[in-house]
Amino acid sequence: MARRRDRLVLAALLTPVTLFLGVFFLVPLLTIAVFSFLTPGLYGGVEWAFYHWNYGRIFGWADGIMEVFEPVYLRILGRSLSFAAVTVLLCLILCYPVAFWVSRLPERWRLVFLFLITLPFFSSLIVRLYAWLLILKPSGLLNEMLLGIGLIGAPLEILYTPTAVVLGMVYVMIPFMFLPLFAAVDNLDRSLIEASYDLGATRFQTFRKVILPQTLPGIVGGSVIVFIPSVGNFIVPDVLGGAKGLMAGNLVEQQFLSARNWPFGAALSMLIMSVVLIVLVTFVTRLRPKEG
Amino acid sequence: MKLRSTVLAASVLLAGASGAVAQEKLAIYNWGDYINPDVLTRFTEETGIEVSLDTYSSNEEMLAKIQAGATGYDIVFPSVHMNDIMIKLDLLEKTGINTHPDFGNIDPAFLRAKEDPASEYCLPYAWGTVGIFYNEDVTGPVAGWADFFAIPEKTGGKISLLDDMREVMAIGLMMNGKSVNSVEPDDIKAATDYVLAQKDKVTAFTYESMPLIASGDLAAAHFFVGGNVFFIDMPNVKYVIPAEGGTMYQENICVLASAPNKAAAQKFLEFYLTPEIAALNVAQQFNGTPNIPANELTPEFIRSNPNINVPAETMARLQIFEDIGAGLRAYDRAWNTIRTAQ
Repeated sequence: MARRRDRLVLAALLTPVTLFLGVFFLVPLLTIAVFSFLTPGLYGGVEWAFYHWNYGRIFGWADGIMEVFEPVYLRILGRSLSFAAVTVLLCLILCYPVAFWVSRLPERWRLVFLFLITLPFFSSLIVRLYAWLLILKPSGLLNEMLLGIGLIGAPLEILYTPTAVVLGMVYVMIPFMFLPLFAAVDNLDRSLIEASYDLGATRFQTFRKVILPQTLPGIVGGSVIVFIPSVGNFIVPDVLGGAKGLMAGNLVEQQFLSARNWPFGAALSMLIMSVVLIVLVTFVTRLRPKEG
Repeated sequence: MKLRSTVLAASVLLAGASGAVAQEKLAIYNWGDYINPDVLTRFTEETGIEVSLDTYSSNEEMLAKIQAGATGYDIVFPSVHMNDIMIKLDLLEKTGINTHPDFGNIDPAFLRAKEDPASEYCLPYAWGTVGIFYNEDVTGPVAGWADFFAIPEKTGGKISLLDDMREVMAIGLMMNGKSVNSVEPDDIKAATDYVLAQKDKVTAFTYESMPLIASGDLAAAHFFVGGNVFFIDMPNVKYVIPAEGGTMYQENICVLASAPNKAAAQKFLEFYLTPEIAALNVAQQFNGTPNIPANELTPEFIRSNPNINVPAETMARLQIFEDIGAGLRAYDRAWNTIRTAQ
């Protein structure tokens, strides 16, 4: 009796989220999957006829007239993946020590700090990126300061370089890395660390055998949440990179807008999604803590 | 730019709301910063129609939204080639604006839409040129594209191009003496090669170049004539229509087939035929108007500037974009190559 009620309650609780994901995640995903095999309409949209050249153009079969194979799309994807990986790594290096520091603060200060971390979300991303543009430009705040204290002789050329893109991406993604990391670090069982020291482990051994495995879920979670949107980000490369290095996100955006080729945009999206999925599954399974 | 248009939209809404019993409504969907807010205020004052303004940043963005079924907009401002496409796609409404008594104000040279040669659908709105802004203190005199691309090497100054496929390809095509609407593979190849050869001199492809010229971070930039609004107090920043050729644009005011307020939209088109109103728009936008009597009413410094009020011999070296249909694929491939080249 009780069992059956539990099941009913569970079903009732799961229905809204299932419906929501079904409608707003699965339906669009299926639309993209179907569109990627259709003929592009002359002025955007699709014609309902099977068309495999969208993938051919990416992977190497094409008629050479209307559709031409170019390895450039795979290169763009590779570039986006490496930028995303660098972003993940930098976010991790920056956030990991800070998470420890914050977890040791008195309760009140911890709340203040967590509030500060989420503060950027209160304003639009575009506005914040334009602020970075003003900071990084040759006559901007950063260069004025460095020139002022005599650290550099000529303005640094950061704006419209890959450095600016990585900087912008790290800035945007830091909160997404910090929050899961902090949750993991905050839950760390401190008595285990003490025990480790008592048993004669060095600081490095304690970190590797006790702290790292316990915080690993936070590291994996943060990395995944940072990696996925980084691969598809197109605003940061546009605003801070000067649109000079094409990223996967820009490419997709361009297909749906200026190129008016929705099916090719859909095919590229499918490619990006599957590659991201493969990378993540490999990453997560490799890093799963060995049990026993 | 986005922020500015939002603030602008908000102020227009406020202005509309203050009009006594503004029952009728008009939803305008326009390019960002592409209409003088005073024009909308005047319209509300004269007609009592409440105006709302939403903005887009490219023809394709607007088309994609309307195609995807966005409703609630009455008026859009497509470029001529997009006007043609939208008529082919049955997205526009016939307005018969050409039968209005004031339609004689419009210079027939601006009835450019091939699908609408008599202006039965849309009203020519405004036109302008795309050229080069340069800070003469840094660059010295600049006459055209050859001078423009020589700036980095000669002076160390930085230059930017528009982040726009057709505009950038147009430079390559014009430098090879071809039409900016060519779909010949050889022409496109030659244009791509020209642009690729310039790429390492270009600091960025961006629409945000005007503030960077004002702050001295860029020496020159490829931009729309409307950029002059930033440099009224900076005589050292000049605008030139390149000697080798430049592009021009023209947008038309069109009523959507799905417009919920067609009567109000019709009133707006008629209102915009008034020379004073067209001139009011030019005074803030710094572009050209097809309204002949309006040209006599624009501010003196605009009328006397040959790069804004363009004489016939300059007009001769301007080209306008046309719909190139499936030829767009070749441009897209070229643009990807240009943007990924190291």
